[in-house]
Amino acid sequence: MIIKLEKLTVQSRREQELIDVTPLVENAVAASGVTNGLVNIINLHTSAGVVVTEGIECLERDVLAHLARLAPEEGEYWHNRYLDFDGRLGFNAHAHLRSILSGYFAMFPIAEGKLVKGGRQRVYFAEYDGPLSREVLVQILGE
Amino acid sequence: MIDFHTHPMLVQEMADRHPELLAVARDVFYIGNRMQPLETFHLQMDVAGIRRAVILPIDATTARGVKLYSNEQVAELCAMSDRLIGFASVDPHNPNAPQELEAAIRGLGLRGLKLSPPTQEFFPHDREKAYPIYAVAQDLGIPVVIHCGMSWEPKAKASWAQPLFLEDVAYDFPKLNIVIAHMGWPWVLDSVMLALKYPNIYLDTAALYFDNPWDFIAFMMSKQVPLTVFERSLRHQVVFGSNYPRVEIKNMVHAVKKLGLSEDCQHLVFQENAEKLLGERPA
Repeated sequence: MIIKLEKLTVQSRREQELIDVTPLVENAVAASGVTNGLVNIINLHTSAGVVVTEGIECLERDVLAHLARLAPEEGEYWHNRYLDFDGRLGFNAHAHLRSILSGYFAMFPIAEGKLVKGGRQRVYFAEYDGPLSREVLVQILGE
Repeated sequence: MIDFHTHPMLVQEMADRHPELLAVARDVFYIGNRMQPLETFHLQMDVAGIRRAVILPIDATTARGVKLYSNEQVAELCAMSDRLIGFASVDPHNPNAPQELEAAIRGLGLRGLKLSPPTQEFFPHDREKAYPIYAVAQDLGIPVVIHCGMSWEPKAKASWAQPLFLEDVAYDFPKLNIVIAHMGWPWVLDSVMLALKYPNIYLDTAALYFDNPWDFIAFMMSKQVPLTVFERSLRHQVVFGSNYPRVEIKNMVHAVKKLGLSEDCQHLVFQENAEKLLGERPA
């Protein structure tokens, strides 16, 4: 049994953005030496997410626009208060809610040393409160 | 556009070179966010439409035993980016503070002075400790940004930071341009009174103490004081400031733009007034 953990750094460049990390995940799988197993892609932030969808720009925009409709930036949020542990106010409840709605991880099988996914599926890091330098874990388990 | 109020607390490259800065940011200035590469600072400016940012250090050697950053570190950071405008800070309890200020401006190329009375624990109208520093700043023709009003730092008491303390300073140093940071909240009316009376008093918008940027700025600049006061009377004395990284620049830009100031007044607030303070535009 092989278990490998890799931390990817992703620099978002916009306030909201879907960043295709599929090649990074595929590279991590190839480098792991695992031929049969699983890969978990786990976002470490509560105002960002991991999304799997078709890799076309119109859908990327639709995903972000739909999440923005469900959790608008300006709303009556309890989070709009001083957070003593952060030394600042929390006014990004919308980003946290979008993170929950989109989820924080994805999982795919590995077979014959490669990531197994649908032909149109892409793995995205979803930024909801950028631009920021973010971290994503890629955990590979198998033999 | 220029952001006249940012703090370089979370720049990863500087923390890598000077690891002690991380503890200072966490323990003294009480900011819990993750360190970020300088590129994130640039990107934060980009998404907000900001071209340049003033970075403000604090020399609290006597009161807290720390500097965030030293003047040399500010110069070091500015050497990494042509978008950053470095200000100096000196410790008012240090008898050599006036000479250190002059060295930072003439020797390191820094362009203004930042003082924070509640962090540095001095009264801004202290004739023995503060006046010699103001005299040098006035001679050098540089602006001084002074923290006024509430601070989120646990040890920083607002009783050191009342804007009215600056009336003596504005009167005694008529050629010294003084920026009341955070608009002196909650003493916004006091700050506005000073700015109305003294043309060398400026106000920055870097205030956020409850709710969110857009609701708070609207409360402060249209409820506590009518927006017309800023539009008609103080249009040449307000500069945009975000207080990044306590607040993201984009959110403060959005909040100030949403106020309803005229286009030409916004241009003054976001650009021309800052250029004037920096000596890049005739007064």
